[in-house]
Formats: sequence, C-alpha cells, structure tokens
Amino acid sequence: MAVATAAAEVVLHHMGPVPRVEETSNAAAAEAELEGDDEEILRFMDSADGYLLLMDSLSSALRQGWLDLASARHSMGASRVSSTLFDHKEQSAATTLQVVYPADLPPSESNPHFSLSKWCLKEESNSSDIVSAQDSATTKLRYRGSAATPDSSNESDATTAKSSTGVDVNSQVQKARSKALSVFGALVSPKLRTAQVSFETALELIVELANSRSAILSSFSQINRGA
Amino acid sequence: MAGRSNIPANNSALIAIIADEDTVTGFLMAGVGNVDLRKKTNYLLVDNKTTVKQIEDAFKEFTAREDIAIVLISQYIANMIRFLVDSYNKPIPAILEIPSKDHPYDPASDSVLSRVKYLFSADSVASDRR
Repeated sequence: MAVATAAAEVVLHHMGPVPRVEETSNAAAAEAELEGDDEEILRFMDSADGYLLLMDSLSSALRQGWLDLASARHSMGASRVSSTLFDHKEQSAATTLQVVYPADLPPSESNPHFSLSKWCLKEESNSSDIVSAQDSATTKLRYRGSAATPDSSNESDATTAKSSTGVDVNSQVQKARSKALSVFGALVSPKLRTAQVSFETALELIVELANSRSAILSSFSQINRGA
Repeated sequence: MAGRSNIPANNSALIAIIADEDTVTGFLMAGVGNVDLRKKTNYLLVDNKTTVKQIEDAFKEFTAREDIAIVLISQYIANMIRFLVDSYNKPIPAILEIPSKDHPYDPASDSVLSRVKYLFSADSVASDRR
C-alpha cells in the first residue's frame, strides 16, 4: 500500500510540473504584456491629465493678460492700444522655440521636445553658464580654504563677475521688452508691462502644453500599435 | 562661442497665432511677431470681417511652413475649421487650441483630447473586435 502511494506520488510529481511550467510561462507573458499595455495607458492618461491642468493654468494666465490689456487700454485710450499700430516692417521674432527630436525614433513616430528661447536668449545655455561659473567659484573657494590664506578680494571678484552676467542678461531682457512695447508709444501704462509679463507666462505654459501634447500623441500611437 | 551663438539662429522656430485682436496683441508684446521679406506675418487677426476661407488658408499656410513649430488657434476659430484641425495629425507644427476672451476652453471639442474619448469609447472597442 505504501509502495503504491509512493509510486502514485512519483507519477504525480512527473505529471504535475510539466503543464504547470507552460501555464506559468504563458501567464507571465500575458501578465507582462498586460503590464506593458497598462503602463502605456497610464502614461497616456497622465499626459492627458497634465494637459488639462496646464490648460487651466493657461486660461488663468491669459485671463490676467486680457484684464491688464483692458486696463491699459482704459488708461491710455483705445486708439493707443490697437492692432492698427502693429509694425509691418520686416522683423524677426524675439521669442522663438528650439525643437529637439529624439534620435532613436523615426520622424513620423517621434515626440519632439520644445523649449522656449525668450528675447533672443537661450535660457538653457545661460543657466548652464551660470552653473559653471558657480562651480568654478566654489572650487576656488575650496582651494583657498585648504591653503588657509583667506583672500577676500578674489572672492568678491568672483561674485561680481557672476552678478554682472546676471545684470547683463536682465538689462538685455528689459531692452527687448521695451522695444516690443515701443509700437504703443514711448511712455506706456504700467498695466501694459504687466500684461506683457502675463503673456510671457502664457507662452511658457504653451510650450509645456506642446510637450504634453507630443507625449499624448506618442502614447496614443503606441497603444494603437499594441492593440 | 561664435559657433554656439549660431546654433539657436539655425534651429529656432516660430510660434504662429490665429486668434482675436487682444490675444494676438498680447502674444506680439511677448515677442513672437515675425514679418519676413515678403511682408508675410506669422499671425492672423480674426475679427467679424474675416472669412472662413481666410482662416482655412492661414491654417494651411502655417502648417505647411517649415519654420513654424507651434500653431496657436483660438478654440472658437478652430471650431469654424474643425474638419481641417481634426484631420491634422503631424507632430510638427503642433496645433494647440487655446481659450479666448468670450469662449472658455472646452476639452470635449479639443482635437487632442478627442483621442482619449476615442480610446475609451465603445465604438473603438467594437471596431477593434470586428
């Protein structure tokens, strides 16, 4: 009897695991596929949610801009803030976009990345320059500290150089901003300047929206391909 | 350094606008206005006198231009040429429907979000099964 049960156990052991391995491998593959699809759908929904949130912020920024523009028109007069004053001479845009394509995808399926370059300044390059300036300043300070010879003049030089680049950028931006407003006259209402800042914020949000849109379209095409 | 300053000029792309007067004025104040040698602008100001044909032509022109990366269009204007906006599916230029002063943003009619509706609608599931 005991021999029979042992034999049956052996048979079961031989029979049992074979179909189980197939089942588990199939189940694992199906699960992985499902997880991949779910992940893509989650990414798609996240992008769509981000898009809606950004659109809400854009609506607020634009509303603020329109309100400031209306206030400026109220204080300056309707004829002084009007589309008839637009400059139709040849001019290039002061605020442009940089578009970067991911290299690993074909152009039809790629999701391009947009970045804003305001007032002819490339923000990323400027920020990286500032970071590198900071790095060089900190390395110098460390060197001086270890040498135990405090030299305040060098330190102040580094900080003034750093701040002067910041001041240069700021003054350039201010010049470009007043040039853009010069079509409405030399002396404009402060509300017009506020409106300008609101529309600049709106532009930043628009670039984020464009990136979000490109993520949505990319996820959508991947989900459709998977289906 | 000279090489670096050349890079943005070569890669820089424009933002085109099809919107009402105040929206166009605002974005031009933000510095996106561009007028080329042939006096062609990168914006279309839409008012009562603007015809649907003019809007269509501007939309086709802006989407065909290689120096434009984003086309902003007020949603109520996009509704006038919905067939064109919905059939457009290229990644660049990106079409963005923005709210306008008198017409708040409606996600249901946005061409991008209509894809969400399509993906989770019964029709798309049924058509996939067929």
